[in-house]
Amino acid sequence: MLYVPIGYTFGAGMFKMDSIRGGSPYGAGVFSGDGSREPSEKELELAQHQGNSKILHSSTMETLLTLNPLKPQTHLLKLPNFPIYPRISTHRCSFSPISCKLTSQPSKDTTNSKIVVPGAAPSLSEEKEPPAAPAEGSRRKDAGGVVVKRLTKKVLSFLANLPLAIGEMFAIAALMALGTAIDQGEKPEYYFQKYPEDNPILGFFSWRWILTLGFDHMFSSPVFLGTLILLGASLMACTYTTQIPMVKVARRWSFLHSANTIKKLEYSDSLPKASIQDLGVVLSGAGYEVFLKGPSLYAFKGLAGRFAPIGVHLALLLIMSGGTYTATGSFKGSVTVPQGLNFVMGDVLGPSGFLSTPTEAFNTEVHVNRFSMDYYDSGEVSQFHTDLSLFDIDGKEVMRKTISVNDPLRYEGVTIYQTDWSISAIQILKDGEGPFNLAVAPLTVNGDKKLYGSFLPIGNADSTNVKGISMLLRDLQSVVLYDQEGKFAGVRRPNSKLPIEIDGTKIEIVDAIGSSGLDMKTDPGVPIVYAGFGALMLTTCISYLSHTQIWALQDGTTVVVGGKTNRAKIEFPDEMNRVLDRVPEINQPSDVICG
Amino acid sequence: MIFSTLEHILTHISFSIVSIVITLHLITLLGNEIIKPYDSSEKGMIATFLCLTGLLITRWIYSGHFPLSDLYESFIFLSWCFSLIHIVPYFKKRKNYLTTITASSTIFTQGFATSGLLNEIHKPTILVPALQSEWLIMHVSMMILSYAALLCGSLLSVALLVITFRNIFYSSKSNNLLKLNESFSFGEIQYKNERNNIFQKNSFFSDNNYYKAQFIQQLDYWSYRVISLGFIFLTIGILSGAVWANEAWGSYWSWDPKETWAFITWIVFAIYLHIRTKKNLQGANSAIVATLGFLIIWICYFGVNLLGIGLHSYGSFTLTSS
Repeated sequence: MLYVPIGYTFGAGMFKMDSIRGGSPYGAGVFSGDGSREPSEKELELAQHQGNSKILHSSTMETLLTLNPLKPQTHLLKLPNFPIYPRISTHRCSFSPISCKLTSQPSKDTTNSKIVVPGAAPSLSEEKEPPAAPAEGSRRKDAGGVVVKRLTKKVLSFLANLPLAIGEMFAIAALMALGTAIDQGEKPEYYFQKYPEDNPILGFFSWRWILTLGFDHMFSSPVFLGTLILLGASLMACTYTTQIPMVKVARRWSFLHSANTIKKLEYSDSLPKASIQDLGVVLSGAGYEVFLKGPSLYAFKGLAGRFAPIGVHLALLLIMSGGTYTATGSFKGSVTVPQGLNFVMGDVLGPSGFLSTPTEAFNTEVHVNRFSMDYYDSGEVSQFHTDLSLFDIDGKEVMRKTISVNDPLRYEGVTIYQTDWSISAIQILKDGEGPFNLAVAPLTVNGDKKLYGSFLPIGNADSTNVKGISMLLRDLQSVVLYDQEGKFAGVRRPNSKLPIEIDGTKIEIVDAIGSSGLDMKTDPGVPIVYAGFGALMLTTCISYLSHTQIWALQDGTTVVVGGKTNRAKIEFPDEMNRVLDRVPEINQPSDVICG
Repeated sequence: MIFSTLEHILTHISFSIVSIVITLHLITLLGNEIIKPYDSSEKGMIATFLCLTGLLITRWIYSGHFPLSDLYESFIFLSWCFSLIHIVPYFKKRKNYLTTITASSTIFTQGFATSGLLNEIHKPTILVPALQSEWLIMHVSMMILSYAALLCGSLLSVALLVITFRNIFYSSKSNNLLKLNESFSFGEIQYKNERNNIFQKNSFFSDNNYYKAQFIQQLDYWSYRVISLGFIFLTIGILSGAVWANEAWGSYWSWDPKETWAFITWIVFAIYLHIRTKKNLQGANSAIVATLGFLIIWICYFGVNLLGIGLHSYGSFTLTSS
């Protein structure tokens, strides 16, 4: 038998002798006489206080937690026999961590510990009765199922552990940092050279570590992906075990009927000569949802701020699944196509994973009609465009579009992006003959700074010491020509029809032919990922909201107001003061609406 | 020509105003009773804000594109964000603790930007094709705004750590173990019994500790609020960057160093927010994580650009002085 007395913690109400009441420092009680006397206001308050008392709950928690779940035991708590007690199970706020712990270990339900209320409240004990007998019977019959269930609960609670999740996040961050520090995707010889075994970094980190752990392709290595999967599992477990019960708890609310309880809230105030209806109107004007029942009022705002973290987790899971689909089910490829040539999509696109299945669109032929570039006045490249035509398998043109950077072409799930450009050939007239196409090769390519060159041999092209005219191009605007000794000869623009005489040869630059750098991909995971992105942005913004709850009670002509909030703790008193300032003061006693 | 001179003037004005404001702050620190400098320093900060806005708008008009294409411009934008964060609470009529931090951050970032360390001349440059998109405005401005907010919040946490550990250091020096226990457990009781009015009624702790603990709690709270705001901006910035990358380059995530480090920053601040959900881990622990976040933001913003590789190479520069 477990006695949990309240002592004198009820405070001043304990000593009031103006009415006959039950209850003592041992606990609440009522003088029911022959059973017909109803509990008085004071007795109810005392009982409520005992139910709310932290001593009661903490010692209850201790006993429940020290219970051996396999031993059938009945613990009796001496509680007064009032029908208001079902409300303990619905009580939230400061006990939410405790009630959450209870609900997240539902294995306790299969045990035989229960709260039995003795005496004259059979209805209450009846509703707690069922766990006693059937649990034992079902345990004997269904031992296998219970073991699986218990294992699932254990795994879930292990995964939903917050320090574990934080550790996983740290691990992922550290692995990613390492992935940027170590050059990715190089040949093994590179790592042999850079991380030699005879001179290891930090005394042990050599190429063996990198290649065995897969750090050379960190972002697709088993270590990294495994940690990501673990984090995903933790996200799911946490949402299921911790966040959803917290939402259920946050949505329950009840009126507070005692002015003292209201005064104990973290912010409280009392308005003499005010009416609770006015307060309700002012609050709903301030954006609260107001509930008014008799003399008591409850208002809340920002409940979405409690749901939003669940949305954040779900959005993250959506993004992770979309990313997985992309990694396993997409196609990508890139190609540099000189102006005037074409290619078939299926030849360029390569699969990325086991879920990649080609579609009918892969038979489409892409033809590069024209490649052109725009320039700033200073001569730098401002934009490059490719005019593309798509032909289906029968040779019919199905689409035509000019693409440029940031403006791709989309056709039946395949997207073609303009990402790069190059120069493929120069067309020249030599001594009036031609046009000849000279191949152009890249000399240096450094991001946006490129240099291409071509060479026109003069004399015997097969001799070992070939001399000729060199041509350099930075872009399609102009060609710089050098003579056989390498001396600068002149600059010509293509299509200018202006020939240049170099060492007796007359050269006219007809055209500089560019080639278009195209990237292609199909990505079925993109809609999922975009949906996840949108959800994440939205839910992150919403979780900034603070869940504010306000209770009020009309106590005669005074309105007692109290409230609390979960995030915006410092601005809350100011906001409350501003709201309360707007409640009108009632001066005539006849204006007061009671009840 | 007129635009560049205008730019020069505005830069110099804002720089000097901020220096004056900082000096005024220092004076108020030394002489507590002077209220007037506080007010004029606020006006000075508003003038700085207007100057920086003018500077950015001038650059925008002159170069034809939103002023966020290279490192110099992003630094100016960062100092603009700091001054914005500084004056917003001023207009809400609420005195806050951010003033010293934001004002000094403004001057430091702008000073660095205008110094000779970035060796390109600060003329507006043209935009390469890949940056010619509306997404530039959304993505980069969100990222810089988030960096500003997160830096402020982390600096508040650093301040909190400094004060907490100085508290312990001085208490232990005075050889009064009871006092040490009080100042430590005081903070914990305070966090646990936040809703309980008992602590306010029982004043058996000395006044000095009480005010310090109040201050620490305020710092903690403000750090939390500012960091969660910055976290929202960071999320939006990273995600808009991913969508832009998908439109421009065909892949929403390509493990580019800058992208990866932005993600690492996001994770570290997510850890900070998760630590704050548990009441008994609050306080010093979350502040340590926020300090780590401060360093990581600088690596993400600045350090990656030093490498000059990857798709984000527009922000790269070389550290030779002119």
